[in-house]
Amino acid sequence: MLRRTVLKSTALAAAASFGMFGAAFAENPVLKIGFVGVTSGPAAAWGTSNQRSMETRAAWINETGGYDIGGTKYDIEIVSFDDQKDPKRAIAGMEQMAQAGIHYVVGPNVDDGAAAVRPVAEQNGIIYFPYAFPKELYTAPASNAVLGMVANYQSGPAIYKYLMENNGVKKVAFVAANESDPLSQRDSGSAAAKALGLEIVSDTVTYQVDTTDFTPVLLPIIQTAPDLLVLSGVSPANAPQLIRSARELGFTGLISTETAQDAAVLQEGAGELANGFISVGGASTAELASDQMKEFVDRYTKMFGEYNDESNTKVYALEYILATIAANPAGMTDVEAFKATMDTFEAPNPYMKGDAKLKYVGTTSFGQKRQVSVPLVVNTFNNGAFETLFVAQVD
Amino acid sequence: MSKAVLGVAAFLLFVFVVVPLLIAATGRWDLYYTLTSVALLSIGSMGVWLTFYIGRINIGQGAYALMGGYVSAVLMTKAGFSFWATLPLAGIFCAVISVAIGLPILRLRGVYFAMVTLVLTEVTRLTALALPVTNGAKGITSIPLPGGLSVFGIPLIPDFATLENPKLAFYLLAVTLMVLSFAALWRIVNSRLGHLCRSLQQNEELASSIGVNTAYLRVLAYAISSFFGGLAGAVFVAISQSIYPSSFVVNDSVNFMLYCFVGGLGFVSGPMVGTFLLYFGWDLLSIAKEYQLLIYSSAMIAMMLVLPNGILSLLDRKGGKK
Amino acid sequence: MEQILANGLYLGAQYALIALGLTLIFSLMNVLNFAHGQMYVFGGFVTYTVVAQLGLPFIVGLVASALVLAVMGALIEVFLFRPVIRKSKRDESTMLLAAGIAFFLDAVILLLFGEKQRGVPKIVGGVLNWDMRIIMPYDRILIGVLAIALIAGFIALMQYTKAGRAMRALAQDRVAAQLMGVDVDRYSMIGFALGAMLAGLVGGLLVTITGINLGMGGPTSVKAFMMIMIGGAGVISGAIAGGFILGMMESIGLTVLSAYGDITYLAIFASLMVFLAFRPQGLMGKPWG
Repeated sequence: MLRRTVLKSTALAAAASFGMFGAAFAENPVLKIGFVGVTSGPAAAWGTSNQRSMETRAAWINETGGYDIGGTKYDIEIVSFDDQKDPKRAIAGMEQMAQAGIHYVVGPNVDDGAAAVRPVAEQNGIIYFPYAFPKELYTAPASNAVLGMVANYQSGPAIYKYLMENNGVKKVAFVAANESDPLSQRDSGSAAAKALGLEIVSDTVTYQVDTTDFTPVLLPIIQTAPDLLVLSGVSPANAPQLIRSARELGFTGLISTETAQDAAVLQEGAGELANGFISVGGASTAELASDQMKEFVDRYTKMFGEYNDESNTKVYALEYILATIAANPAGMTDVEAFKATMDTFEAPNPYMKGDAKLKYVGTTSFGQKRQVSVPLVVNTFNNGAFETLFVAQVD
Repeated sequence: MSKAVLGVAAFLLFVFVVVPLLIAATGRWDLYYTLTSVALLSIGSMGVWLTFYIGRINIGQGAYALMGGYVSAVLMTKAGFSFWATLPLAGIFCAVISVAIGLPILRLRGVYFAMVTLVLTEVTRLTALALPVTNGAKGITSIPLPGGLSVFGIPLIPDFATLENPKLAFYLLAVTLMVLSFAALWRIVNSRLGHLCRSLQQNEELASSIGVNTAYLRVLAYAISSFFGGLAGAVFVAISQSIYPSSFVVNDSVNFMLYCFVGGLGFVSGPMVGTFLLYFGWDLLSIAKEYQLLIYSSAMIAMMLVLPNGILSLLDRKGGKK
Repeated sequence: MEQILANGLYLGAQYALIALGLTLIFSLMNVLNFAHGQMYVFGGFVTYTVVAQLGLPFIVGLVASALVLAVMGALIEVFLFRPVIRKSKRDESTMLLAAGIAFFLDAVILLLFGEKQRGVPKIVGGVLNWDMRIIMPYDRILIGVLAIALIAGFIALMQYTKAGRAMRALAQDRVAAQLMGVDVDRYSMIGFALGAMLAGLVGGLLVTITGINLGMGGPTSVKAFMMIMIGGAGVISGAIAGGFILGMMESIGLTVLSAYGDITYLAIFASLMVFLAFRPQGLMGKPWG
């Protein structure tokens, strides 16, 4: 008898706690944000840091009770799709996002994917944040893509100008992988350098991404004796090898790139030869990182074992989406309302010390505000860590 | 024979009526694109299958898909052609190019042919990067949707841009092309040409010694194969409204070949079945997140261990149709 | 000029070593091992783990790579290729299996070692600078010499040991070898293990110079295919020749054609296709592979 009561009450208690647990869980409605990018195969590094940044931030938000939009707390769920760097798969991924009722998607990571998903995104009312630079994605009549980072044609001139004024750079050389993204970046970088009055001594040398020895690639460039060697659109895998080969060939000038790099990868691959290497990064250097940025890095490291410095620039897209929706809750399902809000939106940048702002920019480059404003932080690599060289803003 | 007719009728009914009805009923609109992809990719793999049929391992179909895509894109954006005119032109261009390339390389056999075609894909990508007409690394974007098509003032196909649901239109287009390609392939295999091709597959020297013009046959089969590749590429360009040198790469070429293997090299419908299984399989596995590729590849290996002659070899065992 | 030759030699040595393993497997079993590049990447990551994570000497890492890959190769041969070859109607079916294994290894590498580029510190510092005519870092010279030594060792193994003779016999004529009392199963396994081990060794050697990441597998396989096509598939001397020729072509092409932009590799690939059109069996291959 007693036993039965005990059993019954335990069952009841269990059921009740389950119910409560469920209720506590279901208390927050869920806001789904999509990610379409490459997380397997050769280019896995690009999408992986992207996806992990989003998942870290989402878990963090959910743990602390959800994201406040119009007085309601929302749990954030990240829906990911691996497009294998194939534009045809990227379309399928975007279709899946549309099917799941998702209106905001981060990605794709490359030019061809970003161009291929455009029809689907526009037909289904999806705003997406590619990490690809082609201007036609962001210039009218296109209106659903928002550039998720600083483009190389914006950061390049800033870097070249700084180096002209501070380091007396006069002659520049470019080298790029023979793939769409790096080649486009090389062309626009070279044009920007020319516009600044720099002498281009070499901008025709290219390499296969699977090159195992860069000495023959760099030899003809080093012979032109540039003051600055730009590694256009270089992937984190190739950067250390290129730097090492250039230095070993006796190159003493400056080396820079306009893409984000990872300090650990540079340290392992090139060691002290990479000292002085200039790259674009997020606000994670000690001088700039806010406490929230530091906590983000901690959480990311705890969740995935190892931080990736590329995530410094990739933490922003999700933050922009959520903050903009919070500014105008109608935007949650109505992308036109979201677009209208983009023109006036402004919020403090939680990842940076000081009074930096989150806002949409891009009028100069695209004629409309279709770019997130992230601080253009130019770093130099020094003994295993990045140091801030200078900070600029893009308009 | 009547059984076969019934089967074909059932298949047609399924893809043209049942599938759209099912999608409308369940609201799974995203399936249209998946199925469109399957249909287009299986056209490409049918071409690869035909080269297998003459005993050549073709890992270069991606090259022709890319060429076809570029022909269509360039003609539409630079010469103002209608999409419907570029579609056959893309196929014919690929067929012509493949004759020029095929004449020397079809003399190769076995892995040599396989590897040359693999390199061909990379050559095509690099050519697309280097040529001015392809717009190089920047690709061709903002390609218009297929316009309307009318013959003698009678509208046959509406303008895709005015349609409320271009997904359905693309699906119907892709499936129609797939059915036509399949019919063509079936006709070839069950004709005198097919018999001659089989003789090539078994023993080229013998075939040649009894008076079969092997060189001509090989080039013909390869040209038809490449025509299919170009067709598939052109439609993909219309859907994505853009093309880049990386739109079709070595991986695509390898996939075209794998689709044929998975379906079964001994069956005309092998490429369709294989494409469907592998493409859909990958999509379904997306729930496995980071283990997606692991499970996908394990399944592929397991399938090879159990059914090394393709999925359709199951039919063989039961003593079904050959 | 000297510099171009030196670069070509260094590239050629590493390429030849990659191609050797592939051609060995091909000659024994008529299998085009799509997963060869992935095996090379795996070998590189094993060395990285041993050297950079566990802090053991480089030579230990190299040996570990060789062992791990040899065991992997043997297992793959016994449990995957052997049953499939026995059951399938057409030789080509093994290509699907090989491609499946390549995908599988890609997935395993991603899960085990992550997506980042990895590298180990230089094993020797310093740069040889001969009058500005040849500039070559010492570690690169060391790796080049090691690669050539390994090639020499491999040739000696194939020429002078019982296993080597058995494998050569198998490559020439499988049926005849079997009739002469060669244990075909045993030597197929050893051959596959040896081929995989070579891939692992190259990975281990190169991780000190170029580093390693999971994307290097596929392109490496394609490059290795090209080398054995140049030399002739299934012929050991052909693989070595192919490796050195491709190395030289890259080195010379990149220097001579650098002014013309993106066409170096296009020229290399296109000339390869023309070459094969005239000489389908490669430099030293048997006709029809």
